[in-house]
Amino acid sequence: MTGRADPAETLAYVDDCLDPEARSDFEARLKVDPELRREVAQWESQNRAIRAAFGAPPRSALDFGDASNENAVRRGGEAARSIGGAAQPFGQARSQRGATAPIAKSRPARLGATARRVVGAVALAAAMVWVGLPVLTPRPPAALLAAGASAARALADLPVEFVAGDPAALAQRLGPRLALTPPLAPGLQLVGARLAPSSQATATLYLYENSHSARVALMVEPLDEIGAAPAQHGEVDGLSVAAWTGAGYGFVAAAAEDADVAALVAAAGADDNSVADADSQRR
Amino acid sequence: MSSVREWSDDAGALRRFGLALVRDDRFVFDDVAACALIDKLFRQASLTLVDCPGGDRRAARVRAFAQFVRLYRRHARRLAVDEDGGWIETPPSSCGSAAVGVRGLPLELREALLLVVLAGFTHREAAEALDLPLAVVIDRLVRARTRLAVHMAASRDAAAAWPQSAHLRIVK
Repeated sequence: MTGRADPAETLAYVDDCLDPEARSDFEARLKVDPELRREVAQWESQNRAIRAAFGAPPRSALDFGDASNENAVRRGGEAARSIGGAAQPFGQARSQRGATAPIAKSRPARLGATARRVVGAVALAAAMVWVGLPVLTPRPPAALLAAGASAARALADLPVEFVAGDPAALAQRLGPRLALTPPLAPGLQLVGARLAPSSQATATLYLYENSHSARVALMVEPLDEIGAAPAQHGEVDGLSVAAWTGAGYGFVAAAAEDADVAALVAAAGADDNSVADADSQRR
Repeated sequence: MSSVREWSDDAGALRRFGLALVRDDRFVFDDVAACALIDKLFRQASLTLVDCPGGDRRAARVRAFAQFVRLYRRHARRLAVDEDGGWIETPPSSCGSAAVGVRGLPLELREALLLVVLAGFTHREAAEALDLPLAVVIDRLVRARTRLAVHMAASRDAAAAWPQSAHLRIVK
């Protein structure tokens, strides 16, 4: 310790706990005090060593508004790397090739590269007009929708395994991976939950009742590394079904009436806009 | 569904913090034992994360970590009493790495340091989670970092001097 700066203040600077004014004051002192700089560098190096030792992502200089959120910091680091110009070997190779002098060579008359691209684009446009535009929006897996419909048909009318009156007990029984806060839709009353087989893993089947005491099911299946996809509606054996994905989970809502499914989809925020927003935020 | 994502972020941070906290090379020596203990404590502590629909996320996060620390303190105190009737500081290890140095710290210093450095809490949030005054938390942070710096410097020196000082022990 140098005696020139309060150790508490130095630690607060290293741990990013100073308010902006105190931080700028400290940085002004840091510029003129090499001993203080050395001390700060030592603590920062120690922080990096601890985070690396326990597998935590390194902290980024970018502030995304929530310094406590490690994943946001990690995403910020990735964004900074892509913005900051990461290595692009293929782009470099192309630019180097372009910089060299063209070799004059007599060749038989052929279409140039630009002409080939133009012809290709015209052919692609003609094909798209003829066949129709492909669906470019992400779609939930078909197996997820089928599994959700099967689970709802087989299990929705059975007694629930876990009652909804005690969400803490519900979470304790199901475990942190399966227990989510279920969406509360207007007109639907949460009755409880059951475990259900799904497309890839065990899922939670949340069961609701509408005003006619008819059951409405929402299956939530944890899926690793799946992209967000907006709700896709369908009908399976007389059941109205909607499936969507997001936040590492697959969701299937199933009910006899379309309105109940739509209410669940809206309550879960799985309409096209919100999913697109979440997806863009993740990128 | 952004709340689901935030909840899983917090759960991941809590699990990472827990794994670092419970490996003390005294009662919990390996990752398998640490994971078993974490699963037990994590399930109880994560209830405070799950059971907060529409609540303040930051407060829920602090509550969950505080609950985890309380559960682990109780667990460690029970083990210490079962063993020798008192709280004993872990002897420092001679192996040189930041992880070993952190494991060699007493629990009171380790939990404060890991909350701030690993879980990304501010000093004030750490004080709230540990149910301690802010000054005490800062004092513990200073002590933890100083001890860890001494440990890491000593292990660096030992590694540098190793070729000269190392020798085989003669066993008859």
